[in-house]
Amino acid sequence: MNEMLRKSITTLNDGLFLYYLGSNLIYLFLLIFAIRASVIHQRQLASIRLERYRASPFSPPVSVIAPAHNEGQSIVQSVYSFLSLEYPAVEVIVVNDGSSDDTLEALTREFRLLRTDLPYVQEVACRPVRGVYMSQTEPRLLVVDKEAGGSKADATNAGLNIASSPYVCVLDADSLLEKDALLRVMVPVLSDPLRVVAAGGIVRAVNGSVVEGGQLKKVRLPRRFVEIVQVVEYLRAFLVGREGWGHFNMLMIISGAFGVFRRDLVREVGGYRPAAIGEDFDLMMRLHRTLRVNGMDYRACFVPDPVCWTEVPPDWKSLGKQRSRWQKGLVDTLWLNRDMLFRPRYGRIGAIALPNLWLYEALAPAVEFTGLAAIGAAAFLGILSRRFLMLFLLFGYAFSTMLSIGGVLLEEITYRRYGDWREVAKLILCCFAEHFPYHHMHLWWRLRGMWQYARGDVAWGRMTRVGFGGALASRAVQGWRTGKQ
Amino acid sequence: MNPVTQIVARLGPAGYVFQAIVASLLGAALLLAFIMGRRAARRRYFGRRDARAQALRRQLPEILAGRILPEVWRRDPLDDRILEEILLDCMEVAGHKETEQIRYVLRISGLLDRRIYLSRRRRGWRRVRTLVMLGRMRCPEAIPALAEGLDDENEQTAVAAARGLGRYGMPEAAEPILERLEQGRLRLPANVLQSALYHCCRERPSMLLLAIQFSSDEVRTLLARVLAEVASAELGEDLVLLASDPLPEVRASAARALAGARPRLALTALQQLAADPEWFVRLRAVVALGMLQDPRAIPALLETLCDRNRYVRLRAAAALSRLEGFEEEILDRAVHTRDRYALQALVGEMQRSGALLAVMNRLADPPRRESARRILLAAVRAGAHRLLLDAILHHPNWRVRTQAARLLAAAHDPEVLRLLRFHETTTQRPRERVVLAWLARQVEKESGAKEECSAEHREPAPAEETLQDAPPGPAERAAREGVSLAPKRF
Repeated sequence: MNEMLRKSITTLNDGLFLYYLGSNLIYLFLLIFAIRASVIHQRQLASIRLERYRASPFSPPVSVIAPAHNEGQSIVQSVYSFLSLEYPAVEVIVVNDGSSDDTLEALTREFRLLRTDLPYVQEVACRPVRGVYMSQTEPRLLVVDKEAGGSKADATNAGLNIASSPYVCVLDADSLLEKDALLRVMVPVLSDPLRVVAAGGIVRAVNGSVVEGGQLKKVRLPRRFVEIVQVVEYLRAFLVGREGWGHFNMLMIISGAFGVFRRDLVREVGGYRPAAIGEDFDLMMRLHRTLRVNGMDYRACFVPDPVCWTEVPPDWKSLGKQRSRWQKGLVDTLWLNRDMLFRPRYGRIGAIALPNLWLYEALAPAVEFTGLAAIGAAAFLGILSRRFLMLFLLFGYAFSTMLSIGGVLLEEITYRRYGDWREVAKLILCCFAEHFPYHHMHLWWRLRGMWQYARGDVAWGRMTRVGFGGALASRAVQGWRTGKQ
Repeated sequence: MNPVTQIVARLGPAGYVFQAIVASLLGAALLLAFIMGRRAARRRYFGRRDARAQALRRQLPEILAGRILPEVWRRDPLDDRILEEILLDCMEVAGHKETEQIRYVLRISGLLDRRIYLSRRRRGWRRVRTLVMLGRMRCPEAIPALAEGLDDENEQTAVAAARGLGRYGMPEAAEPILERLEQGRLRLPANVLQSALYHCCRERPSMLLLAIQFSSDEVRTLLARVLAEVASAELGEDLVLLASDPLPEVRASAARALAGARPRLALTALQQLAADPEWFVRLRAVVALGMLQDPRAIPALLETLCDRNRYVRLRAAAALSRLEGFEEEILDRAVHTRDRYALQALVGEMQRSGALLAVMNRLADPPRRESARRILLAAVRAGAHRLLLDAILHHPNWRVRTQAARLLAAAHDPEVLRLLRFHETTTQRPRERVVLAWLARQVEKESGAKEECSAEHREPAPAEETLQDAPPGPAERAAREGVSLAPKRF
C-alpha cells in the first residue's frame, strides 16, 4: 500500500514536471515568435505613412462605444480623449448603464446634451433604453441612457444597436486612448478589409502617470508593488502572449478595453452575451465559431503600438476580486464552448488554442494546487527528494522570470514608454520578485474564482478606484467592471 | 576547492537556493547593464546624429543652391544618410520651386541613381525600404524601378511599390498599376491600390474610366470606387453611362461620382439609381442626392424616406434634413406619407443635424416666428415632442420657452399630454414639476373637447417608450429580412 502510494506520488510529481515543462515551452515558443512578429511589425510601420490614412476617403467610419457605469469622476476626460482621436470619421457613443452617480449629469453639463427622438432599433438584446442624447457642442457625440443591465456586455449591446458605422471600437469609459491609437489599430483593417474582422491594441496601466485634459502627459511607473507587478503582467500578456498567438492567427481574446470589430459580424453573432462574465473573451469565441463554421478566411489581429491606458486595481483586495472574476469568465466561456475542442471544423482554434487555454489557463490553478499538495504528501511520507524539489522550483522560477523579462525587454527594445532607466530597473526587479508571494496569492484568487463559479456566484462585486492622475481620493464604486487583460 | 564553494556544497539543497539568488542578482545586473549600455550607445549615436543633422540643416540652402558640392557630404556615410532623410522630409512640405531644387540635388548627387540601383538589386525588407525611399523622391525616372517592384513575389514589396507610386500623385505613376490590373497580374489589398490610384488619377480621372471598360468585374469594382472619389466635371455624361452598369457595386460608385462631378444629367441619373433594386445602390444614390443640395431631389428623397431598408431611410432623412429653407414643405410632405418609420427617421435626423434647433431659436424672432411655428408644429405631429419639452424646461431664452409651450399646447395631440404627465411624475426638480403641471393644464384646456372628438377617429399614437422598446414593425422586419413590403401606414 505504502509502496503504491509512493509510486503514485512519484508519478504525479513527474507528471507535474512535464506539465510545467510543456507550459513553459509553449511560452518560450510564443516569446520567440512574438519577437519575430515585433520585428515584422516595426518594419511594416517604417513603410507606412499614417497621415495618408488620416486623410484617406477610403478609411471606413468607426463608432467608438464607451459603456459607462458610475464613471462620473472620469467620464468627461475620457470623452474628450475619445473625441480627440485622429481618424477621418469617428462617432462616439457613450452608454450610461443606469449609473447611480452623476455620470449623465456631468456629460449633460459639459457637452450640453439634448434628449432627442433618434431612432433606436434593438437588434441585439439589452435592457430598455431610457433616452438618446445628442450634444449641442459636439455633433460626433451620442449618449445612450439605459436601465442598468449589470454588465458591460449589456451596455455595449445598446451602443451596438445605435452605432451607424461599419466598424465599432469598444472601449472602457475609464480608459484613455492615445491620439493615433484608433488609426494605428485600424491599419490591419485598412490594409486587408476583407479578411481582418477584428483588431486589438495593447492595454497599459495608467496608474502613476500624469493625465491632463483627457490626455496622457507623462508616462510614469506606479509606486506601489501591487501596481508595478500588474505592469509586468500586462507587458507579458500583450507583448508576448497576444503578439505570439496573433502571429499564428489564434488570438482568442481582444481586450474589452480596446478592440475594433466589424459591426455586421458582431450583430450577426448576437452582440455581447449579457450574462457573460468575460464578455470580450466570449465574443471572440463566438466570432471564431461562426466564422469557422461558415468557412470564412479571416484574421483577428493584435497590434502592439496603439495604446489604451487604463487604471489597474491599486490594492490587493481589488486585484484579488478582479482576478477571481477573470478566472470565472475564462471557465464560463470555455465550458460553454467545450464542444469546439478537437473538432476539425474549428481548425487550429479547436486543435491548439482551446486545448492550451483549458490545460494551461483554466486548469492551471487546480494543477498547481495539486502539485503543492503532492509535495506536502511526499514530505509527509518522507519520499520528498529535496534536490528534486529545489530543481523543480528553480526551473519554474527561472523560466517564468525569463518570460517576464522577455516582455520587459521587448518593451525596452521596441516601444520604450518608460524613459527613466530607474523605472526599467524596477520592472526587472519586479520580474524576479513577483513569484513569491504574489504568484501564490494569484493562485489562491483563481482557485477562489473557480470555486465561486462552481457555486454559481457570478457577481461583479465592488472595486476601489483612484481616478486619473491619482489626485482624486480613493473611493468604492458599486457595479460592473471589465476584464482588461 | 575554495572556501565559498565549500560552504555552498555544505549547504546541500539549500545551496541551490543560494545559487539561484546569486544567479538572479547576476542576471538582473547583467540585464540592467545591457539596457544601460544600449541606452548609452543610443544616446551617443542620436546625439552625434542630431549634431550632424543640425549642421547639415544649416548648410541646406548652400547645398540646394549647389554651392556645396555633393562630393563633400557624400563621403561620410552618416552625412549621406542624414542628408537624404532631410531632403526627403523637406520635399513633403516643399513648394513647387523648392521641390525642383531638391530633385535636382537628388539627381546630381547620385542618391536617386543609387536608390534605383538598390531597388533592383536588393531583396526582402531591404528592397521594401529602398522602394519606400524611392517613392518619397518623386522623380519620374524612378517610376520604372517602382513598377518592377509591383511584380515582386513578396506582397510587402509589391505593397511598398504601389504606395511609392501613389506618392508620386501623377498620372504616369498610375499607368503601371492600371496596366497590371487590366492584365490581372496585380493582387494586392484593395485599399493600397485604391489609395495609390486615388492620388495618381486626380489630375486625369478619365484614365480610370477607360480602364473600367477593359477590366474584370473585380477590378472594375475597385476602379469605380476610386473614380467615385476623383470624378470631375470633365468626365461629363460618360459617368451617366456608368450608372447603368450591370454591376451593382459600379452603379453605387457611379452615384457618388455623379455627386462629385455634377454633370448635366446627374439629377435624373441619381433619381433612377434611387429606385435601384440593390439597397446599397439606393443608399449611395440617396447620399449623392443629398450632396447635390437640389430641391428638385425632394420627391425622390421622400420616396426613399419610405424605403424598405432602414439604412436607406436614415440616409434619405439625413439628406432631407440638410436642405435648408424647405423644412416646412419636407415635414408636411413627410406627414402625408403616413409612414411612421419615415417620419421618425426624418425628425431624428433633423434633430441630430441641428436643423430643428435652429428653427426653434427662430421662435424668439417675431418676423420669422410664424414660419418657425409651422415647421415645429409639423415636427411635433411627426413625433418631436421631447425636443420641445426640453426647450420649455431648459432653453436660455424665455421667449423661446413661452413660444414652445404655446406650440405644444396647440398641437392637440393626446400624446403630448401623456408625455407631460409622465415627466411630471418622474422629474426630481420642483421647478420642472410646476412647469409641467401648468403646461398639462394648458394642453387640457386648449385641446378639450376637440381632442375627445378627434380621438374617436384616430388610432392612438405610439407611446413614448414604444418608439424605442416596441418589437420591430412589419417594415423593420421586412428590412432585416430583405423582404419587399410597402411602407407601413397608420
